[in-house]
Amino acid sequence: MTPILQVDVADPTPPYEQLRRQFVDLIGSGALPAGERLPPLRQLAADLGLAVGTVARTYRELEAAGLVRSRRGGGTRVTASPARPAGERARALHDLAVGYARQARLLGADRDAALDALRRAWPAEG
Amino acid sequence: MAAGLLLGVLVLALGGAAVVGRPPAGDAAPEAVRRTLRRWRSAGLVLGVAAAGIAVEADDLGRGVLVAAPLFGLCVLAGVVTGEARAVRLPDPVRTAAVETRHLRHFLPGRAAAAVAAAGFALAALLALTTVAGSADDLGRAGRALSYACADFAGRNGPWPGSFYSLPLSLVVGAGAVLAALALRRVVGRPRPVDDAGDLVRDDAERRRSARAVTGAGGLLVTLPLIGVSLTTASALLANPCRPLWWTVAASLLLLLVPGWLALLAWSAVAVVTTDVRPSRATVTSAR
Repeated sequence: MTPILQVDVADPTPPYEQLRRQFVDLIGSGALPAGERLPPLRQLAADLGLAVGTVARTYRELEAAGLVRSRRGGGTRVTASPARPAGERARALHDLAVGYARQARLLGADRDAALDALRRAWPAEG
Repeated sequence: MAAGLLLGVLVLALGGAAVVGRPPAGDAAPEAVRRTLRRWRSAGLVLGVAAAGIAVEADDLGRGVLVAAPLFGLCVLAGVVTGEARAVRLPDPVRTAAVETRHLRHFLPGRAAAAVAAAGFALAALLALTTVAGSADDLGRAGRALSYACADFAGRNGPWPGSFYSLPLSLVVGAGAVLAALALRRVVGRPRPVDDAGDLVRDDAERRRSARAVTGAGGLLVTLPLIGVSLTTASALLANPCRPLWWTVAASLLLLLVPGWLALLAWSAVAVVTTDVRPSRATVTSAR
């Protein structure tokens, strides 16, 4: 399954930060293993309708964090795949679930409605 | 003359159709994207036929015939560029992209593209040599004849593909090369479309289809003038009564290569004409 990136241009979080977080998650989860090549700057910028500089900033931040390495002519590749231990992954999932439940309750949704929304949002297999 | 040219291209297209086979299959694009690409490619094709027809009638000295095929290719390429530019609109406010690296080699018909590039280099080299060697004809038109001087007499043969022909041809072919590069860049670089459910669609079949049309248009752009220039050059070289041996060798080499260029011309004509004739039977698949 090809990993997917999403950018919400109406979100107050800058697009480069939205992208950075998603890449960090993808690398941390192992969805992007060590050696995997990231899309070329121009291609990803065109795909998302962003300026090339925006994507370049994301890649710079990832490089500064030691997650990727850019090489002239070789593109940008994942350097390390700091796979999270099982316990840490479970904790991260729990934190995300708590955040989602809080937001859903603020919207006035009950437990069933929140779970239904989650099921509908879950990507289909295959 | 114009009818003969069009008939020749048509015969080549039909003759090669059986050899070339089916246009690329694979992941198809949503119907709206396919329709947009097909319409613009067809518009380029129709415009190209009209432009070639006008060009053929425009000049009695053969320059129109020479640039007719490149003009046709140019219009087809313009159709591809426009279609690729208009096919996909990014949704707002949430935009989606796959973590993937797209390369031109994923979409380009490799051998045909290499053959078209070789034909392009051959045309450029041949035109450079014939331009340098050209001289004025009996009416003083620069670059339209090949002068020679034997022991007892001198003379000139024409028509010769000197600057009189090579300059307008280079302009059109050069513009075509730029447009082809632009088209291929769009084919690779344009965003993936999104289906009604909001999922990314892997539209590789449409990209391969466009790349095939670009290769075919590029083939027409260079091979038809290359064949014309090769035959004219060989004919003028062999008409010299006191030619050195290497002129005979060069003329023979040019004539020997013509069947290869004809085969490439046939493939190119088929690629351009049939790209949108046979729809792909592929299914739409989600990137998710």
